[in-house]
Amino acid sequence: MRSKCDKIECLLSDYIDGTLSERQTADVALHLRSCRSCKQEIVNLKKTNHLLENFYVEPEASDAYYARFTTQLQQRIEQSSPTALHQRFHAALTRLGWCLLTQVHRRIDRSRLIGFLSIRRHAFSYYVFALTMTMLVAAPLLLHQISPHDNGEHLLGRLYTAAKTRIFSANSPVLVQPTATLAIKQDNTVAQSMGIRRNVNSERTTETPAVDSGSDVWEFTNEPITDGYIFTRLRKNDSEAVPSVALDIDSELLAYAEFPAQGAFRTGLTSRDVLTENRYALLLLKGIEAGQHGLQEYERKWNEFTGFSEKLLDVPLETLSVPEVYDSKEL
Amino acid sequence: MERTEALLIADLCEGDETALAPLVEKYKRMVYRLAMQITKNHTDADDVMQETFIKVYRSIRTFRRDAAFETWLYRIAVNEALNFVKRRERRRESALEAAAESEYEVATRHQAQIASDPHVHAEKAELRHHVTKAVNSLPLKHRTVVILHEFEGLTHAEIASILNCSEGTVRSRLHYARKKLRTLLKPYVDASHI
Repeated sequence: MRSKCDKIECLLSDYIDGTLSERQTADVALHLRSCRSCKQEIVNLKKTNHLLENFYVEPEASDAYYARFTTQLQQRIEQSSPTALHQRFHAALTRLGWCLLTQVHRRIDRSRLIGFLSIRRHAFSYYVFALTMTMLVAAPLLLHQISPHDNGEHLLGRLYTAAKTRIFSANSPVLVQPTATLAIKQDNTVAQSMGIRRNVNSERTTETPAVDSGSDVWEFTNEPITDGYIFTRLRKNDSEAVPSVALDIDSELLAYAEFPAQGAFRTGLTSRDVLTENRYALLLLKGIEAGQHGLQEYERKWNEFTGFSEKLLDVPLETLSVPEVYDSKEL
Repeated sequence: MERTEALLIADLCEGDETALAPLVEKYKRMVYRLAMQITKNHTDADDVMQETFIKVYRSIRTFRRDAAFETWLYRIAVNEALNFVKRRERRRESALEAAAESEYEVATRHQAQIASDPHVHAEKAELRHHVTKAVNSLPLKHRTVVILHEFEGLTHAEIASILNCSEGTVRSRLHYARKKLRTLLKPYVDASHI
């Protein structure tokens, strides 16, 4: 019986806390019914807990102490030395720099005029070398700083875009999207062969329709278009379809271009005046997701489209409200 | 607009020092109480407070957001306080302190008298003093568990996490601490009725 009591006694503390398993709780409860000493033990433990709960005095400090503490803590934080690794590294570098500068100053101070001149005489080549190295390091950073979000409206941005297109598109994905320009000739003679589709339902949708939807609501037309969507299909000399382009000439000013091999691009147009001139439509393709479509492939496709640049240059700029027309490939 | 605790922690992670003050304001009493109960010395408790919040400020980036900030703070404060006591014992100062009544006991005696209702008998003030003294006389490990469980209301699992030990150890310490307290307070236990 004693060994059973010893076992149960070890569980009494948890029994009070209610942290025993159901089975253990049942075992203890059963034992307590038959064992007077264990029952007394648990009563005593409960009384002890009661005393602790009701008569233990928790330490407390005065409000003045807490106010003083807050001030002292603030001061300590302000005075505390850097502890992060990079902060320590930076502090150590600063100290080292100051040490080196001090040493250099001491040496210069000690040297005579001739020595000083000899340093100056040889220093020129070092200056040139240092400047060249600085330019080499700083140039890409400077280019990057021009404006990663530049949409091509600024000369530097355009130059940067063109440079980035050429430099970075060969092997690596382009992080900053290039701006390409696409001119679509849309006069009456070409219209028939191009095939223009118009939304005859005149119901506006916010989404640009899929080019290849083949839906009944679209029909081919070459009438002057003042409303609705235009679908046009440009052809190469060998009649192979290159891009399909959809223009929303309503207020949404959306443009949608689909390339057979590369998927679709979608962008906002800069002006609806572009579309009131029925002979030409200018679509600025912006925000090409190079990661998805591959800029290199995109460029290759355009190079196959003969006469593209000439057609672009034929665009009568005065009829367009687009402030600047340019071809990034020509920059 | 008052920032939530999560926002304060996020701001502190990003180096916003102003986010520390509201956290200190919220938890300073808890940290002091804990530090004082473990160290039994106001000066040490003050140092523990300082070190705890400095550590919070410097290590906030290591705080895992899925855990409770309060438990993390408990862990820092308890470990700081335990380290203080261990260092103090190593310096053999405890021998001298043990001889004299601790600063905490003097303070609690005073508080016990203040806390008591003027109409209540002096025995209650005396009882408060004895109960507090009994808790303070427990060995450090047992005392810490009792403080965290009985007075701070933490679970066995939380205490185990704070003290970096198993739940079984926590239960065992609590069990022996209660037995010891029952013995120390036997006259009052026998006289009390619940």
